[in-house]
Amino acid sequence: MKKRSFNLASLTRSKITWAVVAEVLILLVCFVIRPDFFSIKIQESTGVLYGSLIDIVNRSAEISIIAMGMTLAIALGGTDLSVGALVAVSGAMALKLMRWDVLEYVTPGNYSVKPFWMAILFPLITCTLMGLFNGVLIAKGGMQPFIATLILMVSGRGIAQILTDGKQFTTMYAPFKVIGQGNLGPIPMPIVIMAVVCILMGLFVRKTAFGTFVESVGVNRSASRLSGISSDAVIMIVYSITGFLSGIAGLIYSSRIMSNDSNNAGINYEMDAILAVVIGGTAMTGGRFSLVGTLIGSIIIRTIVTFVYYFGIVAEATMAFKALIIAVVIILQSEPVREYFARRSDKRAMVKRG
Amino acid sequence: MERTARKRQSLLSRIMNPKYIMVYATIGIFLIIYIFGAINYGDSGFLTLRTLVISMFTENAYYGISAVGMTMVLITGGIDLSVGAVSSLTGMLIAYGVTNMNLHPLLCLAFAFAVGIGLGALMGAAIHYLNVPPFIMTLTGMFLTRGICSLISRESIEIHNDLIDALAGWKIYIKWWNEDGEWAKIKPICYINFNLLLFIIMIIVGTILLQKTRFGRNIYAIGGNEQSAKLMGLPVARTKIIVYAFNGFCSVLAGFAYVLYVKSGWNLALQGGELEVITCAVIGGTLMTGGVGYMVGTLFGVLLKTAIPTLITFNGNLLSWWGKIATGALLLLFIFIQRIVVLYSDRKKQE
Amino acid sequence: MPDNIILEMKQIEITFPGVKALDQVDFTLRKGEVHSLLGENGAGKSTLIKCLTGVNHKDAGQIILDGVEINPQSPEQAMEMGISTVFQEINLCPNLTVAENIFIGRQPMKRGRTIDWKTMNRRADELMERFHLDIDVTRPLSFYSTAIQQMVSIARAVDVKAKILILDEPTSSLDDNEVKLLFDVMRDLREEGMGIIFITHFLDQVYEISDRMTILRNGHLIGSYGIHDLNKVQLVTEMIGKDIDVIFNLKRADVKADAAYMLEAEHIGIPGKVKDISVNIKEGELLGFAGLLGSGRTETAEMLFGAEKTAKGSIRKKGKDVSLKNPHDAIMEKIAFCPEDRKLDGIIGDLSIRENIMLAVQARRGFLHPMSRSEQEKLADKYIKALGIATPDAEKKIAELSGGNQQKVILARWMATEPDVLILDEPTRGIDVGAKAEIQRLMLEMCGDGVSVIFISSELDEIIRCSNRIVIMRDREKVAEVDGATCTQQNILNIIAEGSVAGKDKEAGV
Repeated sequence: MKKRSFNLASLTRSKITWAVVAEVLILLVCFVIRPDFFSIKIQESTGVLYGSLIDIVNRSAEISIIAMGMTLAIALGGTDLSVGALVAVSGAMALKLMRWDVLEYVTPGNYSVKPFWMAILFPLITCTLMGLFNGVLIAKGGMQPFIATLILMVSGRGIAQILTDGKQFTTMYAPFKVIGQGNLGPIPMPIVIMAVVCILMGLFVRKTAFGTFVESVGVNRSASRLSGISSDAVIMIVYSITGFLSGIAGLIYSSRIMSNDSNNAGINYEMDAILAVVIGGTAMTGGRFSLVGTLIGSIIIRTIVTFVYYFGIVAEATMAFKALIIAVVIILQSEPVREYFARRSDKRAMVKRG
Repeated sequence: MERTARKRQSLLSRIMNPKYIMVYATIGIFLIIYIFGAINYGDSGFLTLRTLVISMFTENAYYGISAVGMTMVLITGGIDLSVGAVSSLTGMLIAYGVTNMNLHPLLCLAFAFAVGIGLGALMGAAIHYLNVPPFIMTLTGMFLTRGICSLISRESIEIHNDLIDALAGWKIYIKWWNEDGEWAKIKPICYINFNLLLFIIMIIVGTILLQKTRFGRNIYAIGGNEQSAKLMGLPVARTKIIVYAFNGFCSVLAGFAYVLYVKSGWNLALQGGELEVITCAVIGGTLMTGGVGYMVGTLFGVLLKTAIPTLITFNGNLLSWWGKIATGALLLLFIFIQRIVVLYSDRKKQE
Repeated sequence: MPDNIILEMKQIEITFPGVKALDQVDFTLRKGEVHSLLGENGAGKSTLIKCLTGVNHKDAGQIILDGVEINPQSPEQAMEMGISTVFQEINLCPNLTVAENIFIGRQPMKRGRTIDWKTMNRRADELMERFHLDIDVTRPLSFYSTAIQQMVSIARAVDVKAKILILDEPTSSLDDNEVKLLFDVMRDLREEGMGIIFITHFLDQVYEISDRMTILRNGHLIGSYGIHDLNKVQLVTEMIGKDIDVIFNLKRADVKADAAYMLEAEHIGIPGKVKDISVNIKEGELLGFAGLLGSGRTETAEMLFGAEKTAKGSIRKKGKDVSLKNPHDAIMEKIAFCPEDRKLDGIIGDLSIRENIMLAVQARRGFLHPMSRSEQEKLADKYIKALGIATPDAEKKIAELSGGNQQKVILARWMATEPDVLILDEPTRGIDVGAKAEIQRLMLEMCGDGVSVIFISSELDEIIRCSNRIVIMRDREKVAEVDGATCTQQNILNIIAEGSVAGKDKEAGV
């Protein structure tokens, strides 16, 4: 008995608990309104799974992938505002390399001007380097992450536009289409990519000591340095990872629309990713982080959007709904409220024991 | 008394106080860009006062008005991402009220003020009492406000109203003695419009608040060290809530200025405006860590920020996207100057 | 003289969950006295102060200020009642000017509306003059040294018309001259009839400035004494409840005559920080570094650890040239360093004791070779036991430990790397006598195992007690090197005071 009540108290203190509760509640509401919400079927023509839940996870891929990196940036006590702009850069670059060229071909079709590997690799390398640029400004230049990444956030879309001369290219190249619209067996490709990224990131931070180093640098950079951790290197690696993951998200996004859209690609992604991380229980002040929490957070955000789409609420009102639900989660997660609940369950436990 | 006077620094070294260097840097770079523009594009009119006032001031006054409130929020060490959305909501409320409900625009404006100030105060209270990071809280506020904008209308609503037209068209022409010795409008024509007037008034109000009142000094104290401010017995909670509420007020006023400029309300107006406003304040020397910032700096920050797109427009060969890149480069430059100033004053202190 | 009494605390009791922090404690403060409050960490000093300033609330007892019973609920309320506190950490705003820091919240106003900066600056000038400080009050606070900042915070506390001034470890970051300046101010305030409660770990300072002292131990009152009623040994015995000799029964390390040089630094220096210094240390030797704050001792240690890169000269370890560009290099060379500022540079507050202990070992292995959880736990448990770290388990956050235990965790972090050279910068500052003795014992034990220890401290008696050799620094250079067994405190003080010329003569003699 004693043990169980103790667990209850520590559960109410945990931020992830509240995130899970929120997600379950939203899903329950969905279920009540539309009982077939949970059904998952296999589309007969293609053999791919479909259904609301699959759609939620599928559509959350970009944010989930970016949020994995964002979690580390926030655990370091920083943020990365440039991710949305990097999504645009990645897409623009891929399309620039594959684009249908009027001089060579008569109609757009199933071909890529430059080799396909280039169209995949170059955007990723570019985004990684841009992430590294952020990291260098923060680690070596001693800038605040908010400002340092604001620079690329402001100019990133400009760079994307200039890459494509301000034009919007389209492609019909099939291998590229697989990234965002294809499938592996019955599972949509974005989910596969997202799962791979999440698992690799999880292994990377928890099966090596990198996660501990990130937490340590996030709590106290100077003490970490004096303990022999290369704080600067940790920071630069984290921002490079965030850049790289933004690049992946950019490829998925542009493959979904088979085009580059430097104005709208990845817009507000930085905000969504940061929200996902915070809802997932990682504090903006840095330190302890949870990738699982982040994943839940990102799925919550997408669930809200899907919820709004499915139930005929004006699409543009999504943001207001998002805000309301997020506000509730944030308030439940805030220190005073958690303390209040924890104290109450402590008291109840004491009463039971006494 | 004589001793006291002696140990104070000379006037020159007080003016050259490192804490003002960022402001000087802003002014200096602005002048350089302006002179550069004047030399290269002098014929096209960059040089003329009219271009300066109209392009840089009047067309961007709403950013400036909003930057006044943002500067205060940044000085407390906080941030407010909701400003662009609140300005946009103001436009929606006025447009919807005037066009669809036939209400008096001032009534709509009053309602918008109530909403903006209320939301600001609410966010301030949550930030203080619930310890929610300002970034997250105001981001939520932004989503909420944008969502409400879209609920009101998904399309742009035009405004046709005498009062709005009158205010939008209101101008004070700047006059001087012409060659014939007559008191007349200077040429090329140059005037102050209502938005610019609002901006100038807000800068003055902001300066007085920050420099001359206890409230203003408390803002600096909170930004310097919030824990200390609390232990010194300063009203931290009240100050923070008022600052966010005042920023809400500024956002609404900025939204009103924007309405005067475009004479319509649109749910997606000023998207990303919050970052433009923050950029203005940062270029003006306000530190994101809090505790440092001046209204004069913000004033020139707005000028500088808007000088760049103007310059690029004048150079017809460049894509307008270069403006974004240039703004990013400018930010980078400024932060480097800030770092150098900090390092320099640290070294001086050690000596 | 009952009317002389300004503050009376009677039968104060405070209970925290599971602990009785204060048990029927009485405390009286008279007008015009400096009253030291003494006890080890955890004895209840800060709880008593927090009760007086409204941070903690008492469960029983009375507080009577000037004959009126009070019950302050918050620091602001206590301040309004005339109880001002100056904490060890400076609670001012670095970005505001000196004058503003003194007057913020109660600035003189012009016509009741706008701040009268001129009057404010003038009054700040007058106040600073009273404190014998010749500074420009219109400069930002961050422009000045910690000592001056400390003075400013006292000036603020005094100027709010305080009846009682509480100084909570105000001297721990001050050098001797600064302490003297502070004491002058305290004496002035005492003359003016203010009651001052003074908390410190430096017992010499207690005897220098106090009129009376009150000793607490484990939440109980041991007694209140006049300053001449107890001598230092008796005082410590009362504080820790044990005989001091038992505690400080330490034996200096034995350095074998044929011991090889472990670390040799020749002509290292950084412009503006350390001019030029050569030191060496043998296997199993304990080398003391004496000198005032800012004499370059910390910077020297940082160079030996690679935290600051030396601009010239060379460092040899076991006869082999090494290049120490950053702490990681030094750790690979089995050099370890406990920094001076435990909070800022030592502990990783949010992480557990286990993680804090394994950090340096892990850093040396690199993040690709992680220690398994069980390895980490074994390591942590081993050192928690070996160093007697008081904690229920290894998963507790280090920030929640007392200062002495935090220091032990940092020490454990470095002992776990099994270093050849251990550099300790003020490892005993701000921790109580018992923990101090234990850390000194640990140092000497390590010397016995062949580790070379460099020990930096402001407290000469502990340096003399432990060191084989003592390097004396002044004005960013080494002025002398003396033998630890034969020198006296007075010798060292003379060398520090006389400066380089006399010091260099002596060096030649040693």
